[in-house]
Amino acid sequence: MLKYLFAKNEDIPAGSAAVYWGFSAIVWFVIGTGLGSFNAAKLAFPDFVTGSEFFAFGHMRQVHVHAVIFGWISMAFGMAMMYITPALGNTRLWSEKLGVWNAFLWNVGLSLGLTLLWAGLTSGREYSDFIWPIDLFIAVFMALPLAINVWMTILTRRTQGIYTTNWFFAAATFMVIIVFLTGNLPEFFHLTGLTEAYLTWWFAHNVLGLWITPVAAAIAYYTIPKVTGNPLYSHRIGHLHFWSVVVFYSTPAAHHLMSAPLPEWLKSFASVEGVLILVPAIAFVSNILLTMQGKWNMFVENLEIRFTVTGVLLAIPLNMQGGFQQTRAINWYIHGTGWIVAHAHLALLGFSTFLEAAAVYLGLQSLMKRKLYSLTLGNMHFWLLLIGFSIYWISMTIAGLIQGAGKIYEVPYIDVVIAEHPYMIARWIGGTLVFISNIIWLYNMWMTARVGTIVPVGRMPHEMAYER
Amino acid sequence: MNFREYKIGARMFGFALGGSMCITLFLPSFDFRSAVSTETALDKQLTAGWETGWNVYDPLMLGHNKPLKVLVKTDPKSGQPLAEATYAYVYNVGTPLPNGIDHPDNLGESVEKLSETKGQIGQKTANGTVYLIKHEGNVPYIENATATMGWTPDMVMKGASDSDISHAGAGKTLFVREGCWWCHTLLPEQTQDWQVFGAPPMLGDFNGESPTAFGSDRKAPDLLHVGSRNSSREWMMLHFFNPRLVQPHSIMPRFDYLWGKVDANGQKIDYAKWRTEYDEYHAGKRIDPPDVPMYAKNSEIRDLIDFMLSLK
Amino acid sequence: MAWVMDQPLVTLSDTAKVEKDKVLWEAEDLGGITEDNNRVPVPIVWLLLLTVLTAFAITFPLWGQRPNAAIYVDYVKAMDEPDVKAAKNDADAMARIVAKYRSGPNQALLERHPLTMDDLRQIAPQIKALEKEGVDLREYNVVGPDVVLANFEGNYRADGTRIRLQPWWDKGYTIDIFYVIAFFLGVTMTIKRLPPSTWQPVHGHEHK
Repeated sequence: MLKYLFAKNEDIPAGSAAVYWGFSAIVWFVIGTGLGSFNAAKLAFPDFVTGSEFFAFGHMRQVHVHAVIFGWISMAFGMAMMYITPALGNTRLWSEKLGVWNAFLWNVGLSLGLTLLWAGLTSGREYSDFIWPIDLFIAVFMALPLAINVWMTILTRRTQGIYTTNWFFAAATFMVIIVFLTGNLPEFFHLTGLTEAYLTWWFAHNVLGLWITPVAAAIAYYTIPKVTGNPLYSHRIGHLHFWSVVVFYSTPAAHHLMSAPLPEWLKSFASVEGVLILVPAIAFVSNILLTMQGKWNMFVENLEIRFTVTGVLLAIPLNMQGGFQQTRAINWYIHGTGWIVAHAHLALLGFSTFLEAAAVYLGLQSLMKRKLYSLTLGNMHFWLLLIGFSIYWISMTIAGLIQGAGKIYEVPYIDVVIAEHPYMIARWIGGTLVFISNIIWLYNMWMTARVGTIVPVGRMPHEMAYER
Repeated sequence: MNFREYKIGARMFGFALGGSMCITLFLPSFDFRSAVSTETALDKQLTAGWETGWNVYDPLMLGHNKPLKVLVKTDPKSGQPLAEATYAYVYNVGTPLPNGIDHPDNLGESVEKLSETKGQIGQKTANGTVYLIKHEGNVPYIENATATMGWTPDMVMKGASDSDISHAGAGKTLFVREGCWWCHTLLPEQTQDWQVFGAPPMLGDFNGESPTAFGSDRKAPDLLHVGSRNSSREWMMLHFFNPRLVQPHSIMPRFDYLWGKVDANGQKIDYAKWRTEYDEYHAGKRIDPPDVPMYAKNSEIRDLIDFMLSLK
Repeated sequence: MAWVMDQPLVTLSDTAKVEKDKVLWEAEDLGGITEDNNRVPVPIVWLLLLTVLTAFAITFPLWGQRPNAAIYVDYVKAMDEPDVKAAKNDADAMARIVAKYRSGPNQALLERHPLTMDDLRQIAPQIKALEKEGVDLREYNVVGPDVVLANFEGNYRADGTRIRLQPWWDKGYTIDIFYVIAFFLGVTMTIKRLPPSTWQPVHGHEHK
C-alpha cells in the first residue's frame, strides 16, 4: 500500500485508499481491544504485571480509549467514506492519492499520540488527552484531508441529489474539525478553571455526538438499502434525523458535569437537550427498521445486515440510557459509576462498532472483489463480539448500580470495591472475548484478501455468501 | 438549474450549528468570567503554578519548573517570629507564573482589584517572587511579598526546613501524568456524597487551575479533601508502595517505581528482593511484610505525597 | 466533472426532470412530509411528541433538588421537645425525631440524608442563628458540620444578588422552549426547501 504514496493519482487503483483505511482500522481494533482486555485484567487482579510505569493502569487506560476511538472507529469511518461517498455520487474518489496519504498520516499521528499518552504525556483532560501539538496534527493532517476528499467527491458527483449518508459525511467531517479546534482552546490558549472543565466535556460530548454517532448512523443508511435492495423508508425522517443531530446533539455538553459547580441554567438547558437526543435516535432507528420491511430474513442470513441491525437495535437501550441518565433525577445515583462505563461501551462497542464492522465487511469484499474467506469465522466474530460485549455491559451496569447505592448510602468505599470484584472479573472475560473475536476477524479479512473467491463483475459479494 | 435548495441547506446548517455554539459556548462564557476566586482557587493556582498538564516548560512532565509552597514561621527579612505562621508560594526565576498573575482578570472582579492595588501582583521582580494569600474582610487576594515586604525566594528558602516545604505543584503534575484521576475523582458531588468525601467545590474554586482533572469514572474514593481525612505521610508511603500493605482489598496499582533508584540514605532500592519477600509474606511464609524504603527527598513520590496532603 | 467555482452546484438532470421536480416542490403539502416518501408512521409522530413533553417534564428544575438546611428545621425544633429529651440515648432520641416527621413533605430528602444526634447538635445552633437573621434557610446547605450558603447560581433578585435556590423556572429551561420551537419550524422549512430527488424510484403520491 505504501508504494501508492508516491504513485500518480491515475495509477492508483480505485478503492486502494479504502482498503488501506479498512485494514488499518481492524489492526487498531485488535490493538485497542487487546489493551482494553489487559486494563480490565488489572482492575480485576491489581498485581497482574506490576511495578513498571509502562504497564501501570493510569498509563494505559487512555491509550485503550484513544486507540479504539481514533484508531478503530474513526479509521473505519474513513474507510466507509472512501468507498461510500463516491459510490453514492456515481463517481470516483476525488483523490485516491490523498486518501492513501491520509490513512498513512492518520496511522503516523495516532501512533505518535498514543506513544506519548502511554509515556504519561497528557493534557490531563479526559477524551482530549492528546497534547495540543497532536491535537493540531489531528485537525490539520488527519481530519482536514479526509474532509476535503469527502467534500470534493460530493461536489464532483454525477447524480443530482445528495443522499442522506453523504449529508452526514459532509457535515460530520466539517464538525469534527470545529470540535477539535474549539474543544482544545484551553490547551492552545491556556484557558483555565471552569472554562477548561467545561470545554473538556464540550469536546468529549461533541466528538461523540457530532462525529461518531452521525457517521455510524450514516453508514447504516447506506448498508441497509444497499444490501437489502429496499429503498430507504423515508428521506423526510432522514432529514429530521440529520437536523436534530446538529441541533440537539451539539448542545447538552454540560450534562456531563451535572454534579459539578457549573452555572445552574446551563445544566437545566443541557438536561432538556439531553433528553431531546431521543429525537434523532427515534428518527434513525425507526427509519432503518422500517426500511427492513420484507427483508427481515436477511437479519438471520446475511452477515452485514445482522451486524448493522444489531447495532441499530443496540441504539435503543443506548439512547434510552443516554437521554435519561443525565437528568438531575437520575444522575445523582449513577454519576461517576460503572454504569457510565457500561453506557460508553454500549455506544462505542455496541451501537457504533457493529455498524462499522458491517461497513468494513461489505467494503473490503466489494473493493477487493473477493468473497469473504470464511462465513463461519465471520459468524464466530459476530457472536463472540456480541456475547463479549453483553457480558461486559451487563456486568458493568450491575457494578454501577452497586456503586451508586454505595454512594448514596455512604458505604465505606472499600466495601464497594469488594462488592464489585466479581463484576470486574466478568468485565475482563467479556473484554477478552471481544479481543479474541477481533483476532479472528483480522485473520478472516487477511485470508479474504489473499485467497478469497473472486466476485464476478456485476455481482455483489453478499449475494454469493452461500455459494461455493 | 442551480441548486438554491442546497444553499438554503448550507445556510440552515450554519444557522443551526452557530445557534448551538452561541448558547453552549458564548452565553456561558459570561458566567465563567464572572466567577470570583475563592481562597481555595488562589491557593491551588499559586501551589500548582502555570499548568500541570503537558506544557512546553515541563515537556516530559517531571514536575520541573514548579513553585514551592513553604510554611513561613519567622519573617524571612527581619528574622522576627511571625504572629501567625503563613504559607508562602516561592517562584524562583524562570518558574512560569499562574494564570491569575499573568491575567489578573481571571481572578474575578473584587479579587483582581485587591490583588493589583494592595497585593501589587503586577510588580516585576528580578530574582524570583514570593506570593502570599491575604484577606480584606471576606475577600482573599494575592500579595506579591517580594514587592510589598522585600521577601525574596532565597530568604524564604533559607529559613525553611525540609518538612516546611511542599512540592505539591510538582505532585499535581504527577497526579495527572500517572493517571490517578482515572479512578480518584476530585469532585465530591453536589447532590449526594459530601458527607463522606467532604464539601463539594464551589463555583470560584477553579479559577486559574489547569487541568481541573475532575475525573468521571470513580473507581476509588474521591480525593478532593483527602488531606483532611488522612494526614499521615507514613500511611501514604506504605499505600503508594503497595496498597495491599494497608488495604488488602485495594485494587490500586503499586506506585513503587516513583521511588526512583535510591532511597533516602542513597542506598539502591532492590525492588526484585522486595517483591520476592512480599510474595512470601502474601503466601503466608513470612510474618511481616518487608519494610518499605524511605523515599529520597527529591523523589517523585515525595512530590505526589505532598500533593495528597495539600488536598484539605 | 470539474468543480466550476462560479457555479459550484450544477445539476446534471435533464430539463424534464428539473421541471417535474419544480412542480413537485410547489405542489407538496405539509412541508413535504407526505411527498415522494412513505408517510411518517403515526406512532412515530406520537413518540416524538411524547419525547419532547418528557424532556421538559423529567428535567423540570425542581426534580433532583439538593437537600437544604430548611429540611432540618423541624428536627432542630424537636430536639427541645420533652419526649426527645427523655430518650435514653442519642440513637433513641434520633429515632423519635425521625418518627415524628416520617410523613412530612421532606421525607424523601431526609431519608437520603440521615443525621445522627451529634450532627444535629453541631448544626442546630447555626440553623437557629440563621433563623434569627430571618434569611431563607432553603438558600443554605448542610455540608458536614457546617451550614453554608448554597453554592448555587439561581435567578437574580431586584437588588442584583443571586437567589441561591433552585428556581422552578430558570434561564436554561426558557431557552430550551424557544430552541425546540425554532428547531421544529426550521426543520419543516428545510425539508420543504430541500430537493426531493432520490437515488431510488419515487414511492407514489404522483403529481402531474
